[in-house]
Amino acid sequence: MQESLPVGRTALDRRSFLTGAGAALIIPFSVTLSPREAAAKGAAAGTAATGPVALGAYISISPANIVTVAIGSTEMGQGIMTGLAQLVAEELGLKWKQVRAVHAPASTAWPNPYGNPIFGAQLTGGSTSMMGWYKPLRTAAAIVRDVLIEAARVQYGGTWTLGTGGQLVGGGTSCKFSDVLATAATLTPPTTASLATTRRFIGKRIPRLDIRAKVRGTAVFGMDVEVPGMVFASVVHCPTLGGTVKSVPASRGGATFVNLGKAVGVVAADTWTAMRTARSIAGSIGWTLPTDLASRDSSTLDALAQDLVRSTSAIRYVAEQDGSPKPANAAVKIDATYTLPFLAHAAMEVMNCTASVTADRCEIWAPTQGQQFIIPAVRAITGLPADAITVNTTFVGGGFGRKIEVDCVEQAVKLSKAVGKPVKLTWSREEDFRNDLYRPSATIRVQAGADAKHAFTGLVYRNVSPSIRLQRTQSDITNPEDTGAVAGAVGLPYRIGARLIEYVPLLPCDIPLGYWRSVGESYNTFAVESAVDELARAAGQDPLAFRKALVSGPGGDSRALGVLTAVETLSGWSKAPPRGSARGVAFLKGFGSYIALVAEVSKSSKAEIDVGKVYCAIDCGLVVNPDSVEGQIQGGIAHGLGAALWNEQRFVNGKPGVSNYDRYPVIKLQQMPTVSVTIVRSAADPGGVGETGVPCVAPAVANAWAELTGTRLRSLPFYPGRRMDDD
Amino acid sequence: MPQYKLDVNGKPYTVTVSDEDMPLLWVLRDLIGLTGTKYGCGIEVCGACMVLVNGEAEKSCDMSVSEAVGRKIVTVEGLAADPQGKAVQAAWEAHQVPQCGFCQPGMMIAATGALKDGHHGREIAEEIENICMCGTYERIRKAVEAL
Repeated sequence: MQESLPVGRTALDRRSFLTGAGAALIIPFSVTLSPREAAAKGAAAGTAATGPVALGAYISISPANIVTVAIGSTEMGQGIMTGLAQLVAEELGLKWKQVRAVHAPASTAWPNPYGNPIFGAQLTGGSTSMMGWYKPLRTAAAIVRDVLIEAARVQYGGTWTLGTGGQLVGGGTSCKFSDVLATAATLTPPTTASLATTRRFIGKRIPRLDIRAKVRGTAVFGMDVEVPGMVFASVVHCPTLGGTVKSVPASRGGATFVNLGKAVGVVAADTWTAMRTARSIAGSIGWTLPTDLASRDSSTLDALAQDLVRSTSAIRYVAEQDGSPKPANAAVKIDATYTLPFLAHAAMEVMNCTASVTADRCEIWAPTQGQQFIIPAVRAITGLPADAITVNTTFVGGGFGRKIEVDCVEQAVKLSKAVGKPVKLTWSREEDFRNDLYRPSATIRVQAGADAKHAFTGLVYRNVSPSIRLQRTQSDITNPEDTGAVAGAVGLPYRIGARLIEYVPLLPCDIPLGYWRSVGESYNTFAVESAVDELARAAGQDPLAFRKALVSGPGGDSRALGVLTAVETLSGWSKAPPRGSARGVAFLKGFGSYIALVAEVSKSSKAEIDVGKVYCAIDCGLVVNPDSVEGQIQGGIAHGLGAALWNEQRFVNGKPGVSNYDRYPVIKLQQMPTVSVTIVRSAADPGGVGETGVPCVAPAVANAWAELTGTRLRSLPFYPGRRMDDD
Repeated sequence: MPQYKLDVNGKPYTVTVSDEDMPLLWVLRDLIGLTGTKYGCGIEVCGACMVLVNGEAEKSCDMSVSEAVGRKIVTVEGLAADPQGKAVQAAWEAHQVPQCGFCQPGMMIAATGALKDGHHGREIAEEIENICMCGTYERIRKAVEAL
């Protein structure tokens, strides 16, 4: 049952993502037939199937020999639909033009056949999709291949082998997969199969399956869903975080107002009317405000964090300890504090969901990366049994972690239930910015020391930040790593004499928190990689050579050394940078991959940071589609630059300051540096990619700026208060 | 309720709106059902809502429907029927530009508008002020280079 899932919404932290804590590694490729295929199963062997036949949970084949792959991960632009389909195409020897991919339905089974095999739940996060699906999906496809070969033997006799283009070859003749589907559906599949040794798809720049629809404007995002008889809705939340609805004004002007608890929903004939009406009634809604506004106030929280980061009496948790570091006694030492703000997700597609609730059914259309949590949420509102609830995943117009949440889905269901019609709910951009689940702020003190021979002797690291996990479970910390707050600070591959990594929860903090692309690494990597750079400079060492030395030799990490060496070559590190510019480097081992990044910066005419070039080397293990990897790195760099330079959400007594892009600038085409990416060849299993481009940007830029100007930037964003139209 | 006749992608439409201030964006999306044009910010900053108006790229989120009357509107769904639009789409596909793809209708409209305005190659990149949270700019630069 859904309610007893070992991995639930409250356990969505990085550690359980990556270790599968609590979730047994499931075998998701059992070949079971869905009811629709029962007819095919009943058909006499040798009879042609009249519709698509599903062979297991992931692969169905049509009479026209089109192979459709159902993917459990969500396509958010990272190219996972294509990457996973490539695996199937490789195993089945297909031609690319006969391959399709669709989002899988949300499953209520446990183990969930569409759950990521690493952690079991059906959600897309932690850069784990290829990591999790690579072997299980290849195996599933290989089993289907063997079933098809066996079906040909049963149907025609003799010995058959796999051909190409959806063909089977035997006895001097050939047949199509589609010729043996009905027979295949009657067979008991083997439990495993050997994987293909061909390399026609894996490792190749295969064009993406979703590009054409996205270029023609026919791709259906959540916001584009159309359901017969639907009405349109928007919402207005309490202007103060944590506020709830006390009274709702009487519905007027043809619009219907619905109390949604934390918001009032407005249902109207079109989205614009709904949004406009929602804005206009904000002042006439009665709200119950939370009693504690200090826990929702940036200045108060900043002061508290500054106190806790130095306090000797703070409640602290040791996330990692090796020896007794005493950096204050070192020959070369630094003691620096870094601060990072709350961030909004600001996905281009605002939060939205379409729901159709009737007496005995509910259908959802949502741009979701958190399918696992939708059916339980709908059940809680409607009381419907799980099998009466259908979830359709649309294309997602940017997720970045925000669309794991079900808040908007719950609202759409309540609205449809209230008005008895299908409802498409679309938040306004302002509601989206003000009611995000924000990337936690962080205040991080790093004390580091090196000896006279430049060995990194001691590290004391203290992260003070509000914890996503703690906010959601209200429980004690049993393992500080579970908080997600120290990811990027623990498990550093650098050779460090002694280290102590501490976490101090910022409490009380009632700013709603969520998972933002690269989560803990998004702030810890800034502190770690800035501090390592400061230590290298204090020791008079080249920052890149210093890092290489820390991962070289016995007990070193050859993959870390590999990306550092690759980016050194790619960036021409040993040669002087162009006149008036300087380079900075940063490194990350994370998401199952290694990445090193060099930023080349100069001073703009306004004496500000101008990032002209970025060089990046990544070792993400086996690469399925290098074009997708490069795209994710390029995009992650753009994302990281906006966060480094400008982005911040601040709160004054519970009221968010930023409500649209005009005050949350995004990198534009003219500001985007030239990005060079090199993918380091690797024999390792696939690692994560989607988040890896983000964390190193800010530290690499700060390190380059320190090299250029001698000024060390320790607080993000570098230019707070910037507007989109500022030059 | 006011009625308006519109020319969208070469086809005539008659729409009945609740208010004459209703922006073209929402007329296209909610009344006509052409959902390729996107709502991004509603304040003419992001460019996701761009359409061609008599061949010029304009943001439709703050353009009232009455302003669109008597002018030729082309949305992303109509780009393929436009020679420059078709070339832009071909370049976008060849360079595998989109990631999530949400901003790309606006991006392609902006590029088409720049092309129609006589700009070519890198000049087009100078003209595009739209934003893309996925950061597809490197590929947009490459895609417009040959236009």
